[in-house]
Amino acid sequence: MKKISAITLLLLVSSFTSFTLIGQCNADNFSNACIPKLGDGFNFLKSYKIDGEGGAKDKVEYSYVFTKGTQYMINLCANGAATDGIVVSLFDSNRNKVASSKINGQFVSAIAYPCNATGIYYIQYTFDGGGKCGGSALGFKR
Amino acid sequence: MRIAILALAVAVLAACSSGKKPDEQAFLNTLDSAKTEDPTIDEEVIGSILQNIPSPIEISVLLKESGTKYDPSILNSSDNLSKYNSNYQKALNLGVYGTDLGYTNIYEQNQDGIKYLSSIKSLADGLNIGQFFDIETIGHLATNSKNLDSLLLITTQNFNSINHYLQTQNRSNLSVLLLTGGWIEAMQVTCQVAAKNPKNKELKDTIGEQKIILEQILLLFSFYKEDENMASLLKDLEELKAGFDKINITYTYKESTMEIVNGVAVIKDNSTTTIEITDQDVENIKNLTNSIRNKIVS
Repeated sequence: MKKISAITLLLLVSSFTSFTLIGQCNADNFSNACIPKLGDGFNFLKSYKIDGEGGAKDKVEYSYVFTKGTQYMINLCANGAATDGIVVSLFDSNRNKVASSKINGQFVSAIAYPCNATGIYYIQYTFDGGGKCGGSALGFKR
Repeated sequence: MRIAILALAVAVLAACSSGKKPDEQAFLNTLDSAKTEDPTIDEEVIGSILQNIPSPIEISVLLKESGTKYDPSILNSSDNLSKYNSNYQKALNLGVYGTDLGYTNIYEQNQDGIKYLSSIKSLADGLNIGQFFDIETIGHLATNSKNLDSLLLITTQNFNSINHYLQTQNRSNLSVLLLTGGWIEAMQVTCQVAAKNPKNKELKDTIGEQKIILEQILLLFSFYKEDENMASLLKDLEELKAGFDKINITYTYKESTMEIVNGVAVIKDNSTTTIEITDQDVENIKNLTNSIRNKIVS
């Protein structure tokens, strides 16, 4: 009986531990890895965590005021060399899409946006399959 | 066997029960009157507005790129540190000094930068957020102008960490003050430089564009009307807003085009904004900004 209780407890503990490991998204690591990958001459501004919470979220969104005359770069980092299905899209304050990292079905890991109109922009991350976990960095240059 | 299982279970539960580091706990214990008790404040909403506010470093880069010479006289002296005793003053001037540090960094004026760094560290310690400034590393980077990129990166990361931390500790009011102090200082610097270069259209437009940022800041302050200090500053910011009301920003959307260059989606933005701002508007905004900034730093 004691043996059965002990095994049950161990199984409970180990299954709980496994669950947290499987469900874990270390987005901080990915966003930190993205900072040095900003293009030449870009100054770091922000890092963003992209955690789809294992599918519970279909998008992750941030916002920032972009300034006319400034070029911005937003990049993506995820498991493996590619973007693991993560797509970053940029919307203006009226929710018009102005940029995307998915062009004609092709995924790219960064977008360069020379801003011509100052205003609030929405940086939206969506998932096209993959692990729904990653990071991103925003940089600027003039 | 039973002891081993019990020890394992206790260890797992202890690991799961609290993610707080010792310094975080110490910080929580030192929460003072600056913590707001207003139940209507939604930290998530505030966080989403706070993230909009652009880094003052963008303006410093603009000033340098436009050929403006370094002028330390337009900054807040690092010697004013002893004047800032309340958390309200400390948070605002931490933002002010953050902008000044960014300005000295962009112009590679490392000796001045080190003075600001020291004042920043003192203010941050006073707010129990000094752990986010690795003064030794930053000081070392500041001794060599070749380290400019690393210096800018680490200081930006430090300020981002502070803002994030304050929000997670339900002290977003301090984060609002920090960003507002930084913005007012950047505004003040831009206005001073624009006054000396009245023909520079880009600087005038930059001042006009700040209308968008001020609207975000006013939105943030609307959550803290019960705080006496913040209500007073809100009144001043509303006067500044009146100065911006005459400025028209017209946005014209036109679909952008994109192409892939070396694995990067390069966008051609076909939308535009036009800013209508007169010399009188600039003068008026400069005076209003100076008045607020002087209240903050003196």
